[in-house]
Amino acid sequence: MRKNRFRIILTLLFIGLSLYFLYPTYKDYQFNKDIKNLANAQDSAAFFDKYGADLLKAREDRIKLGLDLQGGMYVIMEVDIAKLLLDLAKKQDETLKQVLDAVSEQSKTSDDDFVDLFELKLKEKGLSLKAYYGEIRDEDASIKSTLKTEVENAIDRAIQVVRNRIDQYGVSEPVIQKKGSSRLVVELPGVSNIAEVRKLLQGTALLEFKLVIDPQIAVKVMEKVNTYMAGGNLDSLMKADSLGQITKVDTTKQDTSKITDTKIKKDSTSLTQKDTTKKDITKKDTSKKKNDSIKPTDSNLTGLTDSNGNPIDTNQQMSEEEFKKKNPWFYLVRPQQFQDGSLVWLVRETDKPKVLKLLEKKEIQDIIPADISFAFSNRSTFVDEGENIYQFYVLKKAPELTGGVVINARSNIDPTNNTPVVYMEMNSDGSADWARITGANINKQIAIVLDNVVYSAPVVRSKITGGSSQIEGMANIQEAKLLEIVLKAGALPAPLSIIEERTVGPSLGEDSIQKGLYSSIIALILVAIFMLVYYRFAGGVADIALAFNMVVIMGIMASFHATLTLPGIAGLILSIGMAVDSNVLIYERIREELAGGKPIKTAIEIGYKKAFSAILDGHVTSIITAIILYQFGTGPIQGFALTLLIGLIANLFTAIVMTRIVFDVMTDKGKSTINFG
Amino acid sequence: MQFFHGTNIDFLSKRKLFYLASTALIVIGMVAFFAKGLVVGIDFAGGTEVLVRFQKDVEINNIRTSMDQSGITGAEIKTLGSDRDILIRTAEPGEGTSVSDRIKEALTKSEAGNTFEVLRIDKVGPKIGKELTTSAIYATIFSLIAILIYLAFRFEFLYALGSVVALLHDVLMTLGIVALTGALFPSMNLELNQGMVAAFLTLIGFSVNDTVVVFDRIRENIKLFKSESIFSVMNKSLNYTLNRTIITNGTVFITVLILLIFGGEVNRSFAYTFLIGIITGTYSSIYVAGAFVVDAKNYFDKKKKPAVRNAVVGKA
Repeated sequence: MRKNRFRIILTLLFIGLSLYFLYPTYKDYQFNKDIKNLANAQDSAAFFDKYGADLLKAREDRIKLGLDLQGGMYVIMEVDIAKLLLDLAKKQDETLKQVLDAVSEQSKTSDDDFVDLFELKLKEKGLSLKAYYGEIRDEDASIKSTLKTEVENAIDRAIQVVRNRIDQYGVSEPVIQKKGSSRLVVELPGVSNIAEVRKLLQGTALLEFKLVIDPQIAVKVMEKVNTYMAGGNLDSLMKADSLGQITKVDTTKQDTSKITDTKIKKDSTSLTQKDTTKKDITKKDTSKKKNDSIKPTDSNLTGLTDSNGNPIDTNQQMSEEEFKKKNPWFYLVRPQQFQDGSLVWLVRETDKPKVLKLLEKKEIQDIIPADISFAFSNRSTFVDEGENIYQFYVLKKAPELTGGVVINARSNIDPTNNTPVVYMEMNSDGSADWARITGANINKQIAIVLDNVVYSAPVVRSKITGGSSQIEGMANIQEAKLLEIVLKAGALPAPLSIIEERTVGPSLGEDSIQKGLYSSIIALILVAIFMLVYYRFAGGVADIALAFNMVVIMGIMASFHATLTLPGIAGLILSIGMAVDSNVLIYERIREELAGGKPIKTAIEIGYKKAFSAILDGHVTSIITAIILYQFGTGPIQGFALTLLIGLIANLFTAIVMTRIVFDVMTDKGKSTINFG
Repeated sequence: MQFFHGTNIDFLSKRKLFYLASTALIVIGMVAFFAKGLVVGIDFAGGTEVLVRFQKDVEINNIRTSMDQSGITGAEIKTLGSDRDILIRTAEPGEGTSVSDRIKEALTKSEAGNTFEVLRIDKVGPKIGKELTTSAIYATIFSLIAILIYLAFRFEFLYALGSVVALLHDVLMTLGIVALTGALFPSMNLELNQGMVAAFLTLIGFSVNDTVVVFDRIRENIKLFKSESIFSVMNKSLNYTLNRTIITNGTVFITVLILLIFGGEVNRSFAYTFLIGIITGTYSSIYVAGAFVVDAKNYFDKKKKPAVRNAVVGKA
């Protein structure tokens, strides 16, 4: 009896856990149904205000549908190594181009490393890597390893660029993964504009250096926008927009909290001339001290006025609603001033699309001076009440310089004070401009902008001549590395070519879901009926166990955040087949024992015991193939293998433990006959 | 209810006949496979495939002409399911996605007034195709080796070998029959794609499961009927497990059959291949795996006996 109790608790625990993990999927389904029934934009805005957070959470934790079921794009891109090597070469003559073309052709059918093949081909022509790369005194081997590192770095840059753009484009739940040393897998669910996305993925990254507009001027511009919006001119526009955003980007969360956080970190990076003389180090030290002295405060914002011309106090006792109504723009883009007079603008992650949409409006654009542009920081500067807060930059539209002038960037730890630094080198043309720009903007910020996202906005500490700059003040080495990647992305674009692309239109996805799902359901029902007819009562027990089995499988999938694909459904059906087999094995054995005249309790015990070895061996061999399939397969096959694997493991539990509980409880209660058909 | 009760079929006496039948079928299948070959999908061959759904039925010849005119040569064009769904496939992967764009352009031009919706675009570069082939072969080989090792560990080596022989038999037989069907009924659109590879690997799993169940019974019965020959123990075990074999494989067969009928175009290659696999898998666990073990055991016993005699002679 105690043994039964333990197994019952275990079973209930599994089912409970599975249901817990499946709840978001159910919730998401309900929400989607509700959304379909919403009549107009007003309704939906209200709905999302109310359920926004729950909706996002449910969407996050539900079982996701693969691209084949919901439509979307799957792209594998590869760094065009030939183009990269051409860009890297000191001189780009015809011979080099011919050699690279030949190697590209060769590498299509060869498993050897591209750089190795390249070197061989050059040798055939009586040339060496030295002729095109590195200095005369460099060893060929070291040039080769440098080139190989460049190839690997290129994929990191490509990932950064692609992620940056996809984030801006606003695809929900994109997957961007590095695959091998030179490939990139991008999955974009629900994307329909193929041509646009393709351009997005393959275009060259644009790196720019832009001047951050003086706070005094920025404030004036922002006030104008605020006043205009407070006039109610854009109310209707905003409402209509919020619906569009909700269905597309899932940015619905309406936070009613005020930013009163003091943890805010101002961008404290600074830009100095790279030099190793003692003098400069002291210079650096003073700048550091200056940084340290900047303490964020909650002080009133001097000089900022609201739409009525009254000074704004972000901490005043105005109610949230009132503030939002009076200062709609400052509600979205919150000003934060520091003691030294500098000012930053902060935007909640969920408000980002709204801000961008508003800035696109013609009415707003008319107010904003033509030489001003805006950009967000690449990552959140801090987290406020669980929400990421991004910095919003007001920039001069025309870039001071573009990334083409950067010839190298390198991140490092400054040995003198153990802080991360990034060294940046420019070509001679760029250096001359750079000296002029930095000289004219000392103590001002210059933003490093990649594809319209600000990665850093260091303060210029001195005029930088000679083209070697150093950027310091990053929080850690990872940040420095990222900046290095960004600077290089502009300097040396990583050319990407699409080597595999699969697009599934939404209606095919729906078709597949229906066909795949319906045939599975029909099959399941037929199998269940058969079991009931053939094994009678025991068959019914097996059917219930099968149902639980499916719940457990789906629960495990939800807890793994696994994706359900069409092959995945096939895997599910097959694992159900195995589950039926386990029951059949056991029941046939029990019948044999019953036919041999054994009492029911003994027959059940022997039946389970004897069937066990066959079930175990059968499952283990199938699990082995599923693991190998998962290991070697790609995309769709992996989905199949994963559900099969989960199903097989769940089977071992449900077939052996779950059904037995029922029989054991019955025999323990003194039942002397159980119908096994 | 019970399908087979207390059967005592002598499966193994006629095994030589079935060896012959199996060999003949595999040979025919392989001939079909090597002569006609399987249609290799773009997953492995590389190329571009565009599936569109028109609002109204279209004339396939029109589309063919328009493709020829736009320089997409050698494209395979066929309807899928209905005359509204058109599949266009070309071996050209093209630079970027230029090929699919050209196809769409040509369709828009030739079928003016009949709008279409893109259901699916697949573009696979030649390199990817080659890698998929390699990984599919590796996956099959590694599964076979892993199964061999596990079963050798759980049973005897001869049994493990028997089940792997049965597996090879199933894979070859299924490949042959699928190729033959493809050659005889091109309209079934069977092609070697990732789905078919998945079917082969699953059928390996199922077939070995079937064999394991029989062997498991033999493992048990050898201890029970110590005095009987392997031949008779094998026959007994096959009969004991017959009911289970029929029920399990029957239910799986029905499930896959439903998938084949209602699962649509996407699942067809998978479902058909697997369906054939279930049949050969069931058959092979009786007539190949079991029979192999019986014959192999007899062979080694015969070989051993002279060896023993020699040893005795040597002693004398």
